[in-house]
Amino acid sequence: MSQALVDLRAEQLHLPKTSRWCKLAPVFGGLGIAGLLTALLLAGQTTLQHFLFSYLTAYLYWLSLALGGLFFVLLHFLIRANWSVSVRRMAENVTATLPLLALLALPLLLGARHIFPWAQGVVSDPVVQGKAAYLNLPFFYLRGGLYFAIWLGLAHFFYRWSLKQDRSEDAELKEHLTGQMTRFAPLGMVLYGLSQTFASFDWVMSLDPRWFSTMVGVTFFSGSVVAIMAFLAFMAAALHLSGQLRDVITLEHHHDLGKLLIGFVLFWAYIAFSQYLVYWYANIPEETSWYRHRLVGSWQVLSIVLAVGHFGVPLFFLMSRHIKRRPMALLVGAAWMLALHYIDIYWQVMPTIHRHGVHFTLLDLATFVGIGGLFLAVFFWLLRRFPLVPVGDPRLAESVAHENF
Amino acid sequence: MATPRVSAVEHEANLSDPLSGRAPLLLGDRSLHGITKAVCRPVECVPSRAWTLFFVVSVAMMGLYVLTTAYLFYEGIGIWGVNNPVNWGWAISNFVFWVGISHAGTLISAVLYLFRQKWRTSINRFAEAMTIFAVVCALSYPTIHVGRVWLLHWVFPIPNQMGTWPNFRSPLLWDVFAVTIYGLVSFIFWYLGMIPDLATLRDRAKTRARKITYGIFALGWRGSTRHWKHYERAYLLLAALATPLVLSVHSIVSFDFAISQLPGWHTTIFPPYFVAGAVFSGFAMVLTLMVIARWAFKFEHIVTIRHLENMAKVILLTGMIIAYAYGMELFIAWYGQNPYESFSCANRAFGPYAWAYWIMIVCNVIAPQIFWFKRARQNVVVLFVVSILINIGMWFERFVITVTSLHRDFLPSSWGDYSPTFFDVAALVGSFGLFFTLFALFIRYLPMVAMSEVKAGLPEAKPHHGAEGGSREASATGEGA
Amino acid sequence: MAEYSTNEQLPDEKLWGVLAEFSGPGDIFRACERVRDAGYTRWDSYTPYPVRNLDKAMGLSASKVPWVVFFLGILGAVGGMTLQWWASVVEYPIVYGAKPFFSWQAFVPVTFELGVLCASLAAFFGLLHFARLPQHYHPLFTSERFQGVTDDKFFIAIEAADGKFNLQETVDLLRSVGATQVEEVAG
Repeated sequence: MSQALVDLRAEQLHLPKTSRWCKLAPVFGGLGIAGLLTALLLAGQTTLQHFLFSYLTAYLYWLSLALGGLFFVLLHFLIRANWSVSVRRMAENVTATLPLLALLALPLLLGARHIFPWAQGVVSDPVVQGKAAYLNLPFFYLRGGLYFAIWLGLAHFFYRWSLKQDRSEDAELKEHLTGQMTRFAPLGMVLYGLSQTFASFDWVMSLDPRWFSTMVGVTFFSGSVVAIMAFLAFMAAALHLSGQLRDVITLEHHHDLGKLLIGFVLFWAYIAFSQYLVYWYANIPEETSWYRHRLVGSWQVLSIVLAVGHFGVPLFFLMSRHIKRRPMALLVGAAWMLALHYIDIYWQVMPTIHRHGVHFTLLDLATFVGIGGLFLAVFFWLLRRFPLVPVGDPRLAESVAHENF
Repeated sequence: MATPRVSAVEHEANLSDPLSGRAPLLLGDRSLHGITKAVCRPVECVPSRAWTLFFVVSVAMMGLYVLTTAYLFYEGIGIWGVNNPVNWGWAISNFVFWVGISHAGTLISAVLYLFRQKWRTSINRFAEAMTIFAVVCALSYPTIHVGRVWLLHWVFPIPNQMGTWPNFRSPLLWDVFAVTIYGLVSFIFWYLGMIPDLATLRDRAKTRARKITYGIFALGWRGSTRHWKHYERAYLLLAALATPLVLSVHSIVSFDFAISQLPGWHTTIFPPYFVAGAVFSGFAMVLTLMVIARWAFKFEHIVTIRHLENMAKVILLTGMIIAYAYGMELFIAWYGQNPYESFSCANRAFGPYAWAYWIMIVCNVIAPQIFWFKRARQNVVVLFVVSILINIGMWFERFVITVTSLHRDFLPSSWGDYSPTFFDVAALVGSFGLFFTLFALFIRYLPMVAMSEVKAGLPEAKPHHGAEGGSREASATGEGA
Repeated sequence: MAEYSTNEQLPDEKLWGVLAEFSGPGDIFRACERVRDAGYTRWDSYTPYPVRNLDKAMGLSASKVPWVVFFLGILGAVGGMTLQWWASVVEYPIVYGAKPFFSWQAFVPVTFELGVLCASLAAFFGLLHFARLPQHYHPLFTSERFQGVTDDKFFIAIEAADGKFNLQETVDLLRSVGATQVEEVAG
């Protein structure tokens, strides 16, 4: 395919200064600060524990999205994909929020004593005492630092090399940079897999220090990939509807993102159901306790909402190729999944403190808007600052020209 | 026909990784007719002496299986080494092993198809055939393990004179459905893909008997675009159905173990870990067979080193996933603070079957690490040796899971040991005979490479190849119609 | 210059159609667009492998196989769950493993498998139905040259039953769109 077919004019690659997209960064920034301030105000009226749990839920939501973005970038290079070049920049922008998220993790680290039962002074439970070699605060902090060192390092290098490619005119250097990223991707994936797993052990599984499952890392991963696919599909469809980049992120890319979204929705359901089935069937108290809290009262209602909304609805909605190739429909489907992903995270974290039923408060909303606002402010600021697609990638033309079956 | 000559330049291009565009998938004679000739040759020529020898040895091994199984039916499964507390021995290890082998075929034919991995076209037919034969081998074990094989129909939901129904809450019944349906769907997928190639063999047939035989199975295929339209849709849908199916099958096999309360079996990561292990062992088996077949039938220009290298990469990836799963099992065994679980782990690594555990670790975790190096991935000898090691390692994985968890029960008074008898060994060796017999017949009578798919994957097969700029326009008019 | 072989003894009513050979995927793609634009309906193109978008160049509608697969897949899954409910709750209720009679969790695997089975069978038999296969006799099989279609030859055949068919005009059209060979086929 010839380069001439691609409409790579500057106004397509950069958001026009007058476009509404450019106004989003300050808007979200303002929303974020307002959200966090509201959350602090509301925190005064409730317990510190409640505030920290709300904050943790919101934080894990946005962190899972950022980690999903990191996975997308690594995967792109690991398998030498060409179709995904033109949407990769958006995933890179998502990973660029990781420094912000590292900063926003401070309240959680400082407040760990109020979140994790194993960190609360003297532990009397012998089972939890037995885990002290892993579940102790110094090691917890050390691990947290290590995870962020890995994530920030990977995000930083892959983003920097990609931007360097953008600016470069030297074809040889561009090829060298792509080769470099391809070479580092496998190692990056190994580091990513381990850090992501233990992070989900630390921040999700250890909320109930007696409970355990070998699947927790995979569960968290499946949710975060659903989130990034939904986010990329949402952005691609929204850019399309606003008339931006129509020749670069084509309907073929929408179709592929939609396919991956439904694929990972199925994967999520498969993982979630497999874990449930194994624990339901064996019926061992120490393992079923986790589900016990989630299958009574209004939590059961939320479990059903999750099963139907996070699996049943998208399965039928996203199955048709006509839906995936219609930007407005894809936009709705992706937004739906982004909303349901919040319920997924909420369902994993919140039953720990709200034992008697779902108790959604304004605080949950405020922390979500607070962290999300800052996250999106960074994302949209980068979207405005750098080209919308990795213009220097040698495979861009192939990606633009690609077609589905 | 002479060996297709492959120049050093072409060989170089095949192994290169151009950043724009893709390396050529085929070498040598790349014309449509050249592909037809190369693929049809083994089917159309007189069988070589090597093939005959291979066939005779395979049939002899299969004969061993038939005879020992006949004795099994006469005497009962007491002739095997299974007894309390190890009631599942080699038969179940072999079953899981063969089901696992079969999964690579579906992965190559369906999953790689959905991911637009064009290199799969050279190996998918071969791998799909392997899938079906491996499922046949796998299904033979539960069949003979029931002991009273004449009552096997009780596993199906068929009304019977006693008014009983199968227990749908049993994972062993899920297995019945999962593995038979998997075999059936794989067969449909394989046959569907083969219809155009059977038509090729029909049209090239020199004798009337061949023409009629291939003609019957080709269903009157004539390459009509109206047919291709439905064919491509049906093929895509079958691929989309086979992908979750393949995940479900080995997950269900893993449920046989995981839903119990036995330490070492009852762990939530089993479903995805079994699937990854299945793909891992299956790819190793494809690699083993492919290295031999491409050399014996002179397919080196269709199944290139690059294909083998790609398979090595998939093996490395899935090997890392099972290493991750082993690690998770160990970590959670400690983290869970369940004394039975930690005992089970320690017993695996240092108990009476520690040797089997360490064979498993060396073959499955350590051996594939050599594939981090490009030179190892491109060296046929290394590929062959490592693929065999993985086959061995994955068999031992199933053996370790089955036997070590069973032989140390909760009560020390019911501890026991397990050792196979001659009949156990005969059943494993014999199943390879069954597998290779079917394989020998396949490569002798059916096209080993999916010709129409390989042809469609050639760059010059597209209607607008070389027509720069015009393509968008032309397909736009096509779509407008 | 295209060759043209005619069969003088062939009475007109025995004529099935004309068969034209083309030299490659690009030629046949352009030819199909022209034949389509000329308004023929009872015609088809024949290729050794599925040529990308050739169905669109011919103006064919999309395949209906997906719909059959979708509905039979749903039917299989619903039927599978119903079968298990009926067998375990109504017809033969037995307490097993302290599980309820209707343990939907345990019924999910078989439900899924039966859904996939029915959908796969629907894909295969749907294909056979829509493509009207098996069809072991077809007038085109009488053509010696047509045997190459499964190897490396590309053809267009226009049936005499087409309303617009006129031997002379149709042959002229096929030649003008780049046929290398045109022959009559008896039916």
